[in-house]
Amino acid sequence: MTPTKTVIKVGFMPLTDCASLVMASVLGLDEKYGIKLELSREHSWSGMRERLLKGDLDAAHVLYGLLYGVEMGIGCAATPMAVLMNLSRNGQAITLSKSLAEQGVTNLEALAALVRRGNRRFTFAHTFPTGNHAMFLSYWLAAGGIDPLRDVQLVTVPPGQMASNLAAGHMDGFCAGEPWSGAAVQGGSGFTAATSQDVWPDHPGKALGTSAAFADANPHACRSLIAAVLEAGRWIDDSDEHRFAAAEVLASPAYVGGRARAIAARLQGDYDNGLGRHWRDPDPLQFHAGGEANFPYLSDAMWFLTQHRRWGLLREEPDYEAVASRVNRVGLYREAALLAGVPTPSSLLRSAVLMDGKVWNGRDPRSYAASFAIHKRALK
Amino acid sequence: MKPPSQRTLRIVVVNTVPDGHAGMQAVDAQAQRNAALRIGLLESGYDIVASLPADIFLPERIAQIQPDMIIIDSESDARDVLEHIVIATRDEPRPIVLFTDDQTPTSVDAALAAGVSAYIVDGLQAERVKPVLDVALARFKREQKLLDELSDTRRQLAERKLIERAKGVLMAKNRLTEEQAYQRLRSMAMNKKLKLAEIAQRVLDVEDLL
Repeated sequence: MTPTKTVIKVGFMPLTDCASLVMASVLGLDEKYGIKLELSREHSWSGMRERLLKGDLDAAHVLYGLLYGVEMGIGCAATPMAVLMNLSRNGQAITLSKSLAEQGVTNLEALAALVRRGNRRFTFAHTFPTGNHAMFLSYWLAAGGIDPLRDVQLVTVPPGQMASNLAAGHMDGFCAGEPWSGAAVQGGSGFTAATSQDVWPDHPGKALGTSAAFADANPHACRSLIAAVLEAGRWIDDSDEHRFAAAEVLASPAYVGGRARAIAARLQGDYDNGLGRHWRDPDPLQFHAGGEANFPYLSDAMWFLTQHRRWGLLREEPDYEAVASRVNRVGLYREAALLAGVPTPSSLLRSAVLMDGKVWNGRDPRSYAASFAIHKRALK
Repeated sequence: MKPPSQRTLRIVVVNTVPDGHAGMQAVDAQAQRNAALRIGLLESGYDIVASLPADIFLPERIAQIQPDMIIIDSESDARDVLEHIVIATRDEPRPIVLFTDDQTPTSVDAALAAGVSAYIVDGLQAERVKPVLDVALARFKREQKLLDELSDTRRQLAERKLIERAKGVLMAKNRLTEEQAYQRLRSMAMNKKLKLAEIAQRVLDVEDLL
């Protein structure tokens, strides 16, 4: 018998959507379930991946797509991974430069027309090649008829450097999380062209990831971890006051850093697109949504695989269902949800209509991956 | 072909500059780390062809310089920029060496499991740089050799398939036995000074045209 693990080292990136992990620790919810979270602020996704695989970290706040990239060996040795739960949904954004707006380019159609004129090269940034922002940015561009791999240049830029690169004219737009997208708008260098919930309403965000070895060896610790984070997410989503309190905690340099009010705005769903439009978003960043935001749906996982396949990151057709059902630990999640009193759906798949009208329901991932006019699947 | 000596290795060091919020102390500490690494490399007889800032232009500069090895601070947020290069050039990968003054013990093997060609230098003493780079390069070359062998095997398999199909075409068209079809292919290849697989491809191309 291995001794039960009680101290769990969890890596996070300084982003608003790490809030439920931070609050699980700050509110002492970890101790309620007999564990102690030791949070570690990471500098890069690559560094976090490496520390997770080396065992310096037990679990991490990780881009859903990145975790599946590791499972499939895209850019690193293939290593069996595990998704314990979804940490969040919605709340990322695609920001374009103010100078584009000054030329009258304020939406995707106008951008596509400008790119087609081909007077210069356009550059767009995301945060990690296999990650959510890269997949949402590519999806958005392609939905407008722009081939992200031929018509424009894609680059990877750390989120904290997005606004300054946009202001300096080094790039034309970017897709990233908060508070960095809101910061580019507040700082005047960009405007919000689309939120990620515009691309895919209620899309999955960050996952709580571990190596498969860790999840296999420590089911008890994993259940406690999931239950504590579920309670924290439920607490944050409970009211605007709680969301503001979370923003105040995140404002500490130990977590995200910055001004609490700036973090709170989009965390509470208050959007300003930088071009005079203000709105209260009905689908902002959510950490719980009655458990809907947390259930590790296999269809969510398979969507990232279909997009990795679409853009040639996966060179062969994966066994979508088999991969998703071994990585997403639905059983552990259900047991933890029972502990925390959170309802779970019976179906492992959910259905959504994305921005281009295409339906994704996880039933036929092979056909879905092959159904896009703009793609870079290797030709047979 | 003579293997290149270590002295001709083209090494690029990516410099990390902490952002404005980090304060002067952090900037100084980072400058010291960068300097210690460069001194270590120079004292070990390695040449640095460029020392690049970790910014949005890094992938372009690296594409121009085509270094044999890239060295970067393990704590740098620019590591994700490098990940872009890792994936963009995954058919011709180059070793990326991480350096850190993190004192937690880390074996090269563990770093390897974490990603392709990622290696850790514990501490930045000059005398430690060379052995780690030597191990890193040796490991990288060995992995590359395995991968090359794998793709060689795949290529041979593909060539054999081509030859089989070309033989089939010749047998059907000219009513030859398998052995005769093979001899026909061989003599065509010798006359045209082409590889057997290339001649087989031409036979199939012609067949496609007709």
